[in-house]
Amino acid sequence: MKRKKRMRILIDGSREVAKKLASQIEESYDVEIIMQPQEALTMIKMRETAKKTQFYLGEVLVTECKVQVNNQGGIGIVVGLDEELAYQLAIIDAAFEANLIETQNWLPLLEAEELNIKTRLKAEEAKIYKTKVQFETMDV
Amino acid sequence: MAYVAVKGGSEAIEESIKRLTFERIHTQQVLEIEAIMAGMQGMIDQVMSESSLYSELLAALAIKQAQGNMEEAVFLLRAHRSTLPRNYYTRVIETDNMFVERRISASFKDIPGGQILGASYDYTHRLMDFNLLSESKEAMQKWLLEYEQESQHSSGALTLQSLPKVVAFLQKEGLFPTYEEDQAEPLDVTKRSVQFPTTRSERLQILTRGQTGAVTSLGYAAIRGYGAVHPTVGELRVGKLPLTVAYPMDRTNDEENDLYIGQIKVTEVESFIPITTKNEKNEEEIEFEIGYGICYGQNETKAIAMSILDQALENGNQDYPTHDEEFILMHIDSVESTGFISHLKLPHYVTFQSKLDSVRKIKKGTIQHEK
Repeated sequence: MKRKKRMRILIDGSREVAKKLASQIEESYDVEIIMQPQEALTMIKMRETAKKTQFYLGEVLVTECKVQVNNQGGIGIVVGLDEELAYQLAIIDAAFEANLIETQNWLPLLEAEELNIKTRLKAEEAKIYKTKVQFETMDV
Repeated sequence: MAYVAVKGGSEAIEESIKRLTFERIHTQQVLEIEAIMAGMQGMIDQVMSESSLYSELLAALAIKQAQGNMEEAVFLLRAHRSTLPRNYYTRVIETDNMFVERRISASFKDIPGGQILGASYDYTHRLMDFNLLSESKEAMQKWLLEYEQESQHSSGALTLQSLPKVVAFLQKEGLFPTYEEDQAEPLDVTKRSVQFPTTRSERLQILTRGQTGAVTSLGYAAIRGYGAVHPTVGELRVGKLPLTVAYPMDRTNDEENDLYIGQIKVTEVESFIPITTKNEKNEEEIEFEIGYGICYGQNETKAIAMSILDQALENGNQDYPTHDEEFILMHIDSVESTGFISHLKLPHYVTFQSKLDSVRKIKKGTIQHEK
C-alpha cells in the first residue's frame, strides 16, 4: 500500500488506528522529534475547468511534524490544528520508510479501516442520493 | 504649514478597548467556539473564503473575537496568516474527483448523474421558524435518529466521487471548445503586486478571495446592463476536494507516494455564456464560453457571481465597468476596501485644517472684492 492511500485511511478513518500504530512504534523504538508539531500553511494550486489553466485557490492551515525513527525520517501533515495526529502520522511514515517489522502486520488493519470509511461514505452517499430529482414529464 | 505631533490618546484608547471587551462579555454568556463551528457554517465559509485561509477553527475564533463583524474577522485571519510560514504547495488539484454533496444544472434537465439538490436554502419558504427559540437537545437527537433510520437505497458503488462534468458531454458534441491542459505556473498575488494587464491566474485568485457582497453586486451589475454577460449556470457543485502534497524526500515523482493531507469543502460553478463570433464566411454565429467560479465552503451566490466576472474580464471591454479589470480587481478585496474606508476615521486634522484655511481665504477675498 502506497503512502497516499495509507495516509488517506489514517486521516479520514478512525483516530484510533493512527494512535494504535504510532504507539506500537513508540513502545519499541526511540522517536526523535526533528520538528515539533506546528502550524503552517499549504497553498492550494488548482486547475480550473473553463480553460484548463492553473491558479492559486488560497491557503489551508495545516499542522506538520517531522520525526526520525531508526535513522529514517517521517513526515506528518494534516489539514487543521491537530498536533497529536500530525505527530502520529510522522511516526507511522518513518516506520514505513524504515521498513520496520511492525509495519508488516499493519496492512490488514489499514484495509479494515478502509472498508469502514467506504461503508460510512456509502451511507452518506445514499442519504445524498435521496435528494436527487426524479423528473416526471407532465401531460398538458 | 508644518505637521504637528500630538499625544494624549493612550489612556482613551486603552479605555476604548476595555469598552469593546465589555460589549462582548457583559451579558456573561460564553460563546463556545464549538457552537460557532456547529451552527454558523455559512459565516465561517465566508470568512475563510475572504481571508483566503481555510481553517474552520480559526475562522470561528475570529468570528467570536470580532463579535460577528465579518470584515474584522477577515482582517484578523489575514493578519494571522501573515505570521505563518508557507511550507508546502499542493499538487495541481482537479475537481473531477470531488466528493459531491450537491450538484445542479440550470441549463439541462437530464444531466449524467442527475440533479442532486443536497442541502440548500433554495427550496425553503422564507418564514421565520419560531420553534428555534426553544430548540432542545432532546428534540435534535430525536430528529437525527429518525433521519438516520429512514429507509435508504444504497447504490453499492461510490459514484459521487466521480460524477461526470456537464460540460464534458457538450465538449464531446463539439458545442464547446476544448482546451489542452495549460502547464504554465500561476502567478501569486500574495507574493507579487498586481500589474495590469493581469494574467488569468491572478484574476481568478483575486476573485475567489473577494468580498462576497462586492463580488455579488458587481456580478449582478454585469448582467443588469453595466456589462455584457448573459449567463446560465451550466453546473454548480458543492463538495469536498482531497488535497495532496508531493513527498519532499521522494525523487520518483510518483503521485501515489504523495502525502494526502485531508480535504476542504468548496463551491464550484461553470456558467455557460453565449458570445457572438464571425465564421470564415463572415457570418455571425453563436458560441459558448465558460465562466469559472470557485470559493471555499458553500457560498453559491459568490461562486456564480465570480463566474460572471471571470468571463467579463476575459473579454475586457472599456465600454462596461464590469469588464474593466482594474475597476473590478482593485475594489473587491475585503481588507483593502474596508481598510481604506476605515482609515478615513483616522485623524486628518492637518489636511482638513489646510482645506478650511483655503476656503476661509477664498471667502474672505470674495467678500473684500464685493465691497
